[in-house]
Amino acid sequence: MRKSKQVWIFIYAALGVMFVYNLLPFFWMVISSFKTELEVISYPATLLPNEFTTGAYEKIWLQEGFLLYFKNSLIVSLSTAALSSLVGIFAGYGFSRFRFPGRLTLMTAFLATQMIPGVLLVGPYFKMLTIAGLYNTLFGLILAQTSITLPFSVWMMKGYMDTVPIEIDQAAEVDGASRLQTMFLCIVPLVLPGLVATTIFAFLLSWGDLLWALCLISEQSKQTITLGITQLVGQFRVQWSEIMAATVIASIIPATLYLILQRYLVQGFAEAAVKE
Amino acid sequence: MRDYYKGYLFILPAFLLLLIILGFPAVAAFLQSFNLMWVATPSFTLGSYKALASDPEFLTSLMNTVIFVTVVVSSHLVIGLGVALLLNMDLRFKWLWRVVAILPWTMPDVIGGLVWRFMFDTLPGIVNSVLLRTGISAEPIDWLGNPTLAFLSVMLAESWRGYAYPMLILLAGLQAIPRQQYEAAELDGCSAWQKFIYVTLPNLKHMIIIALVLDVIWESRLFGMVYSMTGGGPGYSTQILTLLSYKQYFQFFNVSYGASMAVVLATVLFFISLPYLRMSMRQQL
Amino acid sequence: MLDKLIRCAASTVATATVAGMLASAPVPAKAGDVTVTYADWQLAQDIWGRSLREAMAEFEKQNPGIKVTTDPTALSHRDVKFTTAIRGGAGPDVFALDVNPVKQYITNGWVKDLTPFIEAEGGEAFLKDFYPNTLQPVSEDGKFYGIPKNVVAMVLIYNEAMFRDAGIDKAPETWAEYREAAKKLTKATKSGGPVDQWGATLVLAKACFDLRFSVVLRGFGGDFLNADWDESRLGEPAAKEAFDFVTDMILEDKTMPPGIAQVDCNGARRLLANGKVAMIFGTMWTLPEVNGMNPDLKAWDVLKMAHVPQKTVDDKSIRSTLYQKTLFMNPNTKNPEAAWKLIKFLSEPKQMQRWFDDNNMLSARRSVNETYDPITSSPFAATVTKEIERAAFLPLIPKWPEMLEAFRQNLQSAVAKQKSPEEALADAHKQYQAILARP
Repeated sequence: MRKSKQVWIFIYAALGVMFVYNLLPFFWMVISSFKTELEVISYPATLLPNEFTTGAYEKIWLQEGFLLYFKNSLIVSLSTAALSSLVGIFAGYGFSRFRFPGRLTLMTAFLATQMIPGVLLVGPYFKMLTIAGLYNTLFGLILAQTSITLPFSVWMMKGYMDTVPIEIDQAAEVDGASRLQTMFLCIVPLVLPGLVATTIFAFLLSWGDLLWALCLISEQSKQTITLGITQLVGQFRVQWSEIMAATVIASIIPATLYLILQRYLVQGFAEAAVKE
Repeated sequence: MRDYYKGYLFILPAFLLLLIILGFPAVAAFLQSFNLMWVATPSFTLGSYKALASDPEFLTSLMNTVIFVTVVVSSHLVIGLGVALLLNMDLRFKWLWRVVAILPWTMPDVIGGLVWRFMFDTLPGIVNSVLLRTGISAEPIDWLGNPTLAFLSVMLAESWRGYAYPMLILLAGLQAIPRQQYEAAELDGCSAWQKFIYVTLPNLKHMIIIALVLDVIWESRLFGMVYSMTGGGPGYSTQILTLLSYKQYFQFFNVSYGASMAVVLATVLFFISLPYLRMSMRQQL
Repeated sequence: MLDKLIRCAASTVATATVAGMLASAPVPAKAGDVTVTYADWQLAQDIWGRSLREAMAEFEKQNPGIKVTTDPTALSHRDVKFTTAIRGGAGPDVFALDVNPVKQYITNGWVKDLTPFIEAEGGEAFLKDFYPNTLQPVSEDGKFYGIPKNVVAMVLIYNEAMFRDAGIDKAPETWAEYREAAKKLTKATKSGGPVDQWGATLVLAKACFDLRFSVVLRGFGGDFLNADWDESRLGEPAAKEAFDFVTDMILEDKTMPPGIAQVDCNGARRLLANGKVAMIFGTMWTLPEVNGMNPDLKAWDVLKMAHVPQKTVDDKSIRSTLYQKTLFMNPNTKNPEAAWKLIKFLSEPKQMQRWFDDNNMLSARRSVNETYDPITSSPFAATVTKEIERAAFLPLIPKWPEMLEAFRQNLQSAVAKQKSPEEALADAHKQYQAILARP
């Protein structure tokens, strides 16, 4: 496909707009985090720091235990993403490839669980956790967050698997592969970008969760980073520079994760198209 | 296929997990809304639901939610589709664009709300700083103190944060479109626009519906962005239902009333998304 | 039936997750040790938190065998976390609350009846050192549910240096003077630049709205509810005067900073700390807080306190609002004896003295405020103590959190010009009547 020069100029201009729109909040966040306590609230705001300081980071990192929160968030989010993607692969395959009675109802029911706001669910779930002895454990939190991410994961996986032609399954069946083998060896590699997107989605959902992390964890040392930041906001004497420094820290992991995984998002599909 | 019953086995883990974790809480949510649980004197009553009908704050919040979800989801789909199309081209520094496109989505909504609130801050915010410094405005604009501006600001922020989700779904869909179809269209002398209308969109329809449904549900249950950006203010002009039911439940301790709002929201959402769900099921294969 | 259902679901979770449990099993405490959890939002703050942690260390030393873990849940998360946990059968053993949600906690059974403990300590004799009105929020039907720790009243805090620069020689005593002073103080500090200094600020955001607006309403002789807390007083002329006064200052005079709808108490202190405003409503804690934000201001020298302005100087009615921090025990606690020891320890005169030394806060005990030298010699303490006599609590009823928010939303709507001040106040009045009429 050849495009004229004007078209390319337009394309890159559009990308430029996206670039500015997407990065402006990050720019402001990073700039503010390096300002002094006084400068960060000066009016009108300076667009670059007059005086560059890393004081906010030192304070956040040393005093507020963010290293620990960071670790907790990583454990919870990775486990949630892994669990919900794994279970999601199975369910997605089941919904995509089998025509069993009650399929539509079940799929709808899965998604319907997400229509009830967490505000209502957190209390009863808390009660179950205390009885099961899982209150104040990261494991209890992982289960809770999986219940939120899972329906989305199932739907996404099903959607991606639907794009893979059924002939591939039939070919595998002719070759004598079992359903499980077909799923893992033929279908999953073809929907790898979808799987990556699903995993990232679950990870981010879990990383950003506030309500469940707030209610299900009682000890500060088991707190997650998103909760840690919102705790800062309600505090006396906490400055914007510190809050911004904390948000920078909290954004680094998801952003890096995406940086590493982004190239997988494009593989696989091309092959699927060719095989057709 | 003959072995359709095996499908049950595949969905069993997910089913059990959801049933065990959410089964009881979901039942409890309904019980709470009928004043049967976690109140001083449990007794069955429809009082909460009746009160909703004449509560102006509830009705405003419901309206706000509808507007918010409609605007945000449409902007997500439009921006998402646009960016997906761009990213699907043979670009230089493709990885850079792809990373930039998705960065906003990596920010948790509560934290995104905080950052945008600080950007729109009347005094030390960047938006007013730029407006004042360039002379576009002589007075600082009270972005989050004006009902209309505040609502627009919140929607802008959420459009920014969330479009990558539908975008990713659509991008995967774009990549699955066989190149041959475009080539055939080119042979027929189709323009770029015609190719978009006759090749891209029909192939993408299934993915668009999925993105639409998931995003509608996702945005309707959104809480953190608005909570940390405006807290529903000024007045209750940016208050959405999740925020109101949170307040009733945890701040005013009106368990039954807060629960009934959430149940209404869930029911409305369910019936709105049902036809799309069915459509999406019929679509494929 | 219900419980059985929960138990059934819960045991399924449990069996399905033995592995997970093993992985995250808690480290067992030393045999014989009792652990008590203490939750207090002030733990999350530098100086207050350090002061509290020092107190905990001292408590552990005095009481071998009792360990204290601290839970610094932020104010905005407090009720969400506590109520969920207490309903679910868990939660911190001892926790601190301000008075706004107290009646809800008592009616819902989320706090333990402390009467037996108090009786064991000598009943009347134990309580008599506490100011009588500090017991009002914690008692219900002759039972006591909490032990008061600190009590203060709101006062006007102003920057004397800024007053002098603007040619104002004394603190405003009436609202008219307050308004005039604000006008004189509002200006552009750089000639030709935008206005960047304002006379005063109020708090219109959710956090801390309660204590700050109420003094304006009360200073005008009005109030939210009547003395029995069962009738709205927002229909009275005094309420209208106060409401118009505030909206006029913001919208007509523009003597309060733009963006005031988002200003919370922390924001107000920050504006004061950086010389952007000259007057806020605050109390004892304002001084160390502001000093911490900007030491260059020399808050302890520059800031002064005055009583809440009134409509006329000879008015003798209530004009200020009381703030009280109270200690409560969780009904789910497994170690009520140890928890009581902690509550008793924290409310001892010696700990109250420490609280003044570290945080400039007055005690709920008469003996401490009247005999501890640093307090009796503090001019700030003198002003606030005097104001306590002219102050009252906000309504101590379960519906109060909802009524407070209804009022705030209407005031915000008026400031945002969404409603006229008349409409907004009338709406608040109507909502109050509706909420009060509800069973």
